[in-house]
Amino acid sequence: MIRFEGISHRYGSVQALREVSFGVPQGSLCVLLGESGSGKSTLLRTVNRLVEPSAGRVLLGGRDVAGTDPQALRRGIGYVIQSVGLFPHRSVGENIATVPRLLGWDARRIALRVEELLEMVGLDPGTYRDRLPGTLSGGQAQRVGLARALAANPPVLLMDEPFSALDPGTRRGLQAALRRIHAGSGKTILMVTHDVEEALALADRIAVMDDGRLAVEGPPLEVLGRHAPATVRRMVRAEVLAFHRLAALRAADSALPGPAPGAPVLPEGATLRDALLLMLGHGADRVALMGEAPRHVTLAALLAASGSGG
Amino acid sequence: MRRAAWLGAEILAFLAALWAAPRAERLWSALFPEVSRPTYQQESWFTLLGSHLALSLLAVLIAAALAVPAGILATRRRGRRFRPVLDAVFALAQSLPPVAAVAVALPLLGFGAAPTLLALVLYAALPLLRATASGLEAVPADALEAARGLGLSPFQRLAQVELPLARPVLLSGLRVAVTLSVATTAVGAIAGARCLGTPIISGLANANPAYVLQGALFTAWLALLLDRALGLLAAEGGSRMGELVA
Amino acid sequence: MRDPRNAATGLLVLLPFALGAALAPWLLGWIAVAPNRLLSARIAPLGATGPVAIAWTAYHAALIALPLAAWRPARAWMAEAVGVLAALALLAVVGLGASAAVPPGGLARAAPAAGAWVALLLLFLAISTGAALRGATPALPLLAVLGGAVLLGVSGLLDPLSIMREALGRGEELRQALAEHVILSFSALLLALALSIPLSALSISRHGLEAGFLSVASGLQVIPAIALFGLLIVPLAALGAAFPALREMGLGGVGPAPAVIGITAYLLLPLARGLLAGFRVAPPALVEAALGQGLSPRQILWQLRVPLGAGVVLGALRLAAVQAVGLATLAALVGGGGLGAIVLQGVGQLAADLILLGVLPVLALSLAVDAGIALLSRRLAPEE
Repeated sequence: MIRFEGISHRYGSVQALREVSFGVPQGSLCVLLGESGSGKSTLLRTVNRLVEPSAGRVLLGGRDVAGTDPQALRRGIGYVIQSVGLFPHRSVGENIATVPRLLGWDARRIALRVEELLEMVGLDPGTYRDRLPGTLSGGQAQRVGLARALAANPPVLLMDEPFSALDPGTRRGLQAALRRIHAGSGKTILMVTHDVEEALALADRIAVMDDGRLAVEGPPLEVLGRHAPATVRRMVRAEVLAFHRLAALRAADSALPGPAPGAPVLPEGATLRDALLLMLGHGADRVALMGEAPRHVTLAALLAASGSGG
Repeated sequence: MRRAAWLGAEILAFLAALWAAPRAERLWSALFPEVSRPTYQQESWFTLLGSHLALSLLAVLIAAALAVPAGILATRRRGRRFRPVLDAVFALAQSLPPVAAVAVALPLLGFGAAPTLLALVLYAALPLLRATASGLEAVPADALEAARGLGLSPFQRLAQVELPLARPVLLSGLRVAVTLSVATTAVGAIAGARCLGTPIISGLANANPAYVLQGALFTAWLALLLDRALGLLAAEGGSRMGELVA
Repeated sequence: MRDPRNAATGLLVLLPFALGAALAPWLLGWIAVAPNRLLSARIAPLGATGPVAIAWTAYHAALIALPLAAWRPARAWMAEAVGVLAALALLAVVGLGASAAVPPGGLARAAPAAGAWVALLLLFLAISTGAALRGATPALPLLAVLGGAVLLGVSGLLDPLSIMREALGRGEELRQALAEHVILSFSALLLALALSIPLSALSISRHGLEAGFLSVASGLQVIPAIALFGLLIVPLAALGAAFPALREMGLGGVGPAPAVIGITAYLLLPLARGLLAGFRVAPPALVEAALGQGLSPRQILWQLRVPLGAGVVLGALRLAAVQAVGLATLAALVGGGGLGAIVLQGVGQLAADLILLGVLPVLALSLAVDAGIALLSRRLAPEE
C-alpha cells in the first residue's frame, strides 16, 4: 500500500534520512521504531507530503505522492500526532467534522458520522459532542484526535507517537481501541513510536530506524528477537526486551499436556508474559491453562520458548 | 447581559447629558461665577460627537484595513523576514507623541481633519499590527500542524484556525486602537479638527474654564464608554474560549 | 521553518529603504526655496559646487553600502552605522546645496524639500530595522543622527536652512522650553514612582489592593490626556483660590500643576504593571525558602525581589519615561510650558520650521531617555 523507494532527506546540514526503502503491505499495522532523531517522524511525514524528501519517492497505492495535490492527498490520509492538535475554538463534534466538511459532505451525513466515530473511539456522543477540547483529559483528547483522523474513512492512517504523552493506563486503553479499529476496518496504519512494548503490542510489522537508515524491517518477533539490531538493544535492555517478547507468544503454544494441581489458572488466549506474571504473583513455577483438555505451562518451557534460557 | 443593559443605560445618560449641557446655563454660571458666558453654544454637542466618532472610527477602519493584512503577511513563511520592519516602525512611532505627529502633518496637509486623520491612522494601525502579528504567532503549533495534516489549504488554515484563535488578541488590539484614536482625535482640535476636543481648545485659548470642563467631561466620558463597549465585545467572544481555562 | 535572521535577510529587508532614499530626492526634490517668508517654497536645483558634489557622492556611497553592510545579520550594527552616515551626508547635501542656492543675508529662505524629508524618514526606518534585526533598541543610532545634526548645525553647515535661522533667533526660548520639558517629565516620573513603588510593594500580598490599584490606573489610561488635563484645571483653580499659599507654590488652575498631575496619572499603569511583574520574577519557591530562613518581608523585597526583577522594572521605567517626555508636549495646552509651547506656536502660525523646532527636541529627548535607560539596564541586568 505504501512503498518508500530510496528516500533521502536533508535539513540544512543534517542528513535526516539516508536511502530508506521498504514497503507497508495493505491492511498491516507497521510500526516505525527508533530513538529520537533517528528520522522516523520525518519518514512518516513524507507520506502526506508534510516533508518533501530531497531524493527518492513515496508510492501510495502504486501512485507517486509527489504527483498529487498535497491538500487532496492529506484529506485522504488520516493523521494523528502526539500533541493531538485539536482546534481549541471548535467543539469535539466540529473538530471531527473538519475533513468531511472540506469534502463537502451534507450536514446529516456528517452528524451521523460524528456519532459513529465517537462511539468507535469509546466516547459517549451525547456527553462529548458539544464539549470544547480544553475540557477533555489527555486520553479523551487523543480519542477525539483519532476519530478526527478517521472521519472521512481514509484507507491509510499515519500516527506520530500518538500515545507517548499519556499515562500507562490511558495508553493501554487507547492501544486496545486502535487494535479493535484496525481489526475491524482493515486500514493500513503506519505508526511512529520509541516504545518497544507498544510496538510489540500493536505491530504486525516493525521497521527499525537508526540514524536516518532503515536498520531492519519485518515481523515483530524476527525484528526484536535475540538478534535484534544494536539500535534496539540500545533502546531497551536485553532482558526487558525478552520480557516484552513474551507478549507476542501465545501460552497455548508452549503448553504441556496434563494437569497441574494447585497451580494458578491462566485464561485461554493468554500470552507467555501473562503466564510469567502469574507465576511471579503466586510464587509458582507452573500455571494451569484453561481449556477443554488439562494443560499447563512450566517456567522451563517458558524460558525455552523465549529463547533466553539456553 | 446585565453588563450590556448597564452600558445601554449609560449611553442614554451620556446622550441626555449632551442634550442638557447647552440648556444648563444655571449650573455653569453657579460653577463659574466669574465667567461671563459659561455655556458652550457655538455648536451642537451632537455635531461634535458625530464628527469625533466619525473621525476616530474611520481612522480605525482604515488602520485595520492596512494593519491586519500587513500583520498576516508578516507572519507568513515568506513574509517573516520583514517582521523587523514592523518592530522598527513601532519603535520609531513610540518616540514621537501623537500631538507631534499631528503638528508635523499640519504644514503638509493644512488645517482641518486631514492631518489628524493621518496621525490617527498611524497611531491606530500600530497596536492593530502588533496585535495581529502576536495573536497569529501565539496560535498553538500543534493545531497548525494538525490543520496541515488534515489537508486544509493555507487560506483555510488562516480563516478557520489562525484568525479565530487570534481573535481575543485582535480584539484587545482593537480596544487599544480605539482608545488611542479617540484621544488623538481630541488632540486634533488644535489642528482644527471638529470634535469634542474643540471646546477644550477654545476654552483654553479664551481663558474660559467652563468650556474646558464641558469638553473634557464629554471627551473623557466618550472614551470610557467606548472602552467598556469593546471590553464587553471581547468578553462575549471570550466566553466560549473561557471554557478552555475552566 | 526559516530563521528570519539568516544571511541575506538584512540585505533584502534594507534594500527597499536604500532604493527609496536614493529615489525620493530625485522625484520630490532636495531643497525648496522661497523668495521670502510669505511666498511659498518651490523645489530648487542643487548648486553644482565642489562641496555639494562631495557630500552627494558620500550620500550615495553610503546608500549602496547600507544593504551590503547588513549581509551578515550578526553585524547589523554596521548597517546602522552606515545609515547614520547616510543621514548626516543627506543633511550635508541639503545644507551645502542651500548655501549655494540662497545668497547669504537675503530674504530668500531654503528648506529641505519633501524628497529630502522622505529620504530622512526612510533612513530612520532603515536604522530602526537594523536595530530590530539584532533585537536592540534603535534609540542610540537615531540619537547619533540627531547629535550629528546638532554638530553640523554648530559648525554652521546648516545655517542657510530656515529652521536653523529660526533656531538661532530663538536660542534662549528653545533652551528655556527644553529645560521646562525636562523638569515637567522628570517630576511627573518621580511623582509616579513615589506613588507606584509603595502601592505595588504592598500589592504583592494584598490582592484587593492590587485589583483596585490596577483598575484605577487602567481606567485613567483610557481618558484622553487633553481631557484629563482639562478636568484637572477646574479643581486645581478652586484649590489655588481657596489656599493662596498653594498658589504661591505654583499649584493653580493653569500652569504646570495640572500637566504634572495628569502625566503622573498616565505613568501609573505602565509602572505598576512593570513593578508587579518585576517583584514576581522571584519564584514563589525561592521566596518560601527565604521566609524559612527567617528573612523579613522587607528583606525579601530588597534582597530577592528587587535584584531579580530589576530588568523587568527597568523596562517599564523606560516605557514610562518615554511616555512622560511625549505627554509633556501637551503641557503647553494648559499653560505648563515645555517644548509643546513652541509646537503650538508653530501650529498657530502654520509655520513648519517652528513646529519642527519643537518636535525634533522632543524626539531627541525621548530617544535619549530610551537609550540611557536601555544602557543602564544592559549594565544592571546583562542577561535580559
